[in-house]
Amino acid sequence: MKVPLVGSLVALAVLASPSLSAAPQTPAPDVALQTAEGAPIRLSAYHGKVLLVDFWASWCVPCKTSFPALDALYRELQPRGLEVLAVNLDEQRKHADAFLAAHPHRLPVLFDPKGEAPLAFGVKGMPASYVIDRSGTIRFTHMGYSGDVDASYRQEVAQLLAER
Amino acid sequence: MTHITTRAIVFVLAAAAICAAGGCATVQPWQRGRLADRCMVFDADGSQTAYMTHWQEAREASAGGYGVQSGGCGCK
Repeated sequence: MKVPLVGSLVALAVLASPSLSAAPQTPAPDVALQTAEGAPIRLSAYHGKVLLVDFWASWCVPCKTSFPALDALYRELQPRGLEVLAVNLDEQRKHADAFLAAHPHRLPVLFDPKGEAPLAFGVKGMPASYVIDRSGTIRFTHMGYSGDVDASYRQEVAQLLAER
Repeated sequence: MTHITTRAIVFVLAAAAICAAGGCATVQPWQRGRLADRCMVFDADGSQTAYMTHWQEAREASAGGYGVQSGGCGCK
C-alpha cells in the first residue's frame, strides 16, 4: 500500500515541477517557420550550431519573464556560438507585435501562427524550450519557466558548446 | 409497442451521446490564448476573486484551482 502511495507522490511531484530537464536524445523535427517578414525558414538551416528553441505566446504569463531572460542569455552567449530562436505561437500577429514592442530584444523571433512546430515537437505546456546540439539532436527540454531554468540553460549550453 | 418505444429512446440517447461527443476537442497548450484571457474567468470581478483566492490559500495551505485564466503552463 505504501509503495504505490509513495510512487504516486513522486509522480505528482515530477508532474508539478515547472521545469523538466531531460535528455530524450531524439532528432529535432525539421519544422518550417516564418520570419517577421513572412519568409520561410527551416530548422535544419541551423544544423551544426548549438540551438535553443523556445516556444512562447503573448498571453502566456511565464513568458513575460522567460523572454527577457532568454534575450539576456542570447546576448551573453551568442558570441560563443549559441543560437536562440524564440518561436511565437500567437494566432494573431498583432498580439505578438504588441508584446515585442513592449519587450526590446535582440534575439531572433520567428512565427508559427498555425502551431505546426509545437505539434511536431510535442509541446506539453507554455513556455517550452529545447536545447539542441550541433548534430540536430534534442538534448534537454524545459516546460514552464522559473528562475532556476536560467542556470540550467547556462550549464547545458556550455556542455553542448564544448562538444565538437 | 413498448418494445419499440424503448428501442427508440435508446436510439435517440445514443444519437445524442454521439453528437455530444463530436463537440469534444483537445485544446493544445499553444491554443489557450483565448482561454487565458482575463474575460474567460467565470467570476464577475477578477480582482475580488484574486483577493479571496489569496486569502484562502494563506489559510488552507493550497494554491490554484480557480478559474481558467493562467499562463497555460499548468504551473501558475
